[in-house]
Amino acid sequence: MATNQNSVERVDDAVVRSFARAAVLAALMGAAAVVGSIPIPFSPVPVSLGVLVVYLMGLYLGPVWGPASVGLYLTAGAVGLPVFANGASGIGVLVGDSAGYLWAYPIAALVIGTLIHGRGKLENPAETSIPVLAVALLTALTIIYALGTVWLGYVLKVSMIEAVNLAVVPFIPGDLLKIVATIVIVKGGRIDPT
Amino acid sequence: MLTYEPDDTFAHRLDPRTKLAVQIGFAATALAHPTPRALLVLSALTGVVMAGAGVSLRRTLAAYRFALLVLALAPVLSGATLGAPWFDRAAATASGLASYRVLLVLLVSAAYVRSTPVRDSRAAIQRTIPGKPGQLLGIGVALVFRFLPVLRGDLRTIREAMAARLGTERGAVDRVSTIGMLGLSRAFDRADRLSLALQARCFAWNPTLPPLAFSRADYPVLAVAVVLACSAFI
Repeated sequence: MATNQNSVERVDDAVVRSFARAAVLAALMGAAAVVGSIPIPFSPVPVSLGVLVVYLMGLYLGPVWGPASVGLYLTAGAVGLPVFANGASGIGVLVGDSAGYLWAYPIAALVIGTLIHGRGKLENPAETSIPVLAVALLTALTIIYALGTVWLGYVLKVSMIEAVNLAVVPFIPGDLLKIVATIVIVKGGRIDPT
Repeated sequence: MLTYEPDDTFAHRLDPRTKLAVQIGFAATALAHPTPRALLVLSALTGVVMAGAGVSLRRTLAAYRFALLVLALAPVLSGATLGAPWFDRAAATASGLASYRVLLVLLVSAAYVRSTPVRDSRAAIQRTIPGKPGQLLGIGVALVFRFLPVLRGDLRTIREAMAARLGTERGAVDRVSTIGMLGLSRAFDRADRLSLALQARCFAWNPTLPPLAFSRADYPVLAVAVVLACSAFI
């Protein structure tokens, strides 16, 4: 049997720490897509917690590792882990009807991370004011809706208005609720990523 | 739920990179040609792929049932009009064909999922994407695979604990933020323990991977993938 003899190139400690968090949060997102889902009043669609984890990735991992974490989630789903909504998986989902939302997630995490942390060191998001948090999260949600709708309209050949009716309107109450919940989590200050 | 199943089908013996190429080629051409004739050919090909991987149509449709709901609703919504003629058949047909191609793409990717263990996918990622990004992506996917059941267990425990304390009677914001906060703090605890464990085990940029090799069966399948990808431009 052939043996390989290479010297070991250690990964930097700071990278290991951020990478471990990114990987575990990607798994949390996959778990939330299956286990979470809470019925809410005045809406036929229960709230799934997947997007909530995207917000948390941007807030707690920052503009570099937040999108990287979403990237891990998408790759894991593409190669067959049941991490997409309701336990779906496969590359097909990444070009299917809801693909626009999925591709918007890394951008959303990037935007939140950049608006909250800037380009410098990771800060504790609990110190950010509520209006800034709300603006960052609503911007992210808008990006997710925009890409999701445009892709759905293209791939299913329906008009923009029909796409909005099919894929945005039923989810608005739940998504606003998740933004409020995210702000509550951040302001609770139990977790300090620094 | 759709997942890898050990078996000895033709697809199980192929290299994961070949199967990835087929899916990408298939998706490209299906998105480019939502015409009845092209979809007929692609349907036949989907049948061959599913048979080659031993995929059960019924179980796969069940796994994608939520996507199917949207796919079924789209033509109805697209055809419905306010006012005469109330239903626009041309728009509904166009949308129906478009929805059907998405279904075909989903079925083909199910064949990959059933026939490829995550370990092979990881090796394929690491060998295809060069340098450190490929390494991190490969290891990351393996870690997500490892931690998914653990974190699912965590979330389930949190929800059961909340239900036992009448947490289900609380408001939705309260419930979502409690699950989110507890889930996140548990995930961070696990991540910090994981990073300590990785450092203790000399987490390196150059670990040893399982060998991957193209066999004779891979080349014709790879050729099919290239033809499919090129047909997107016809």
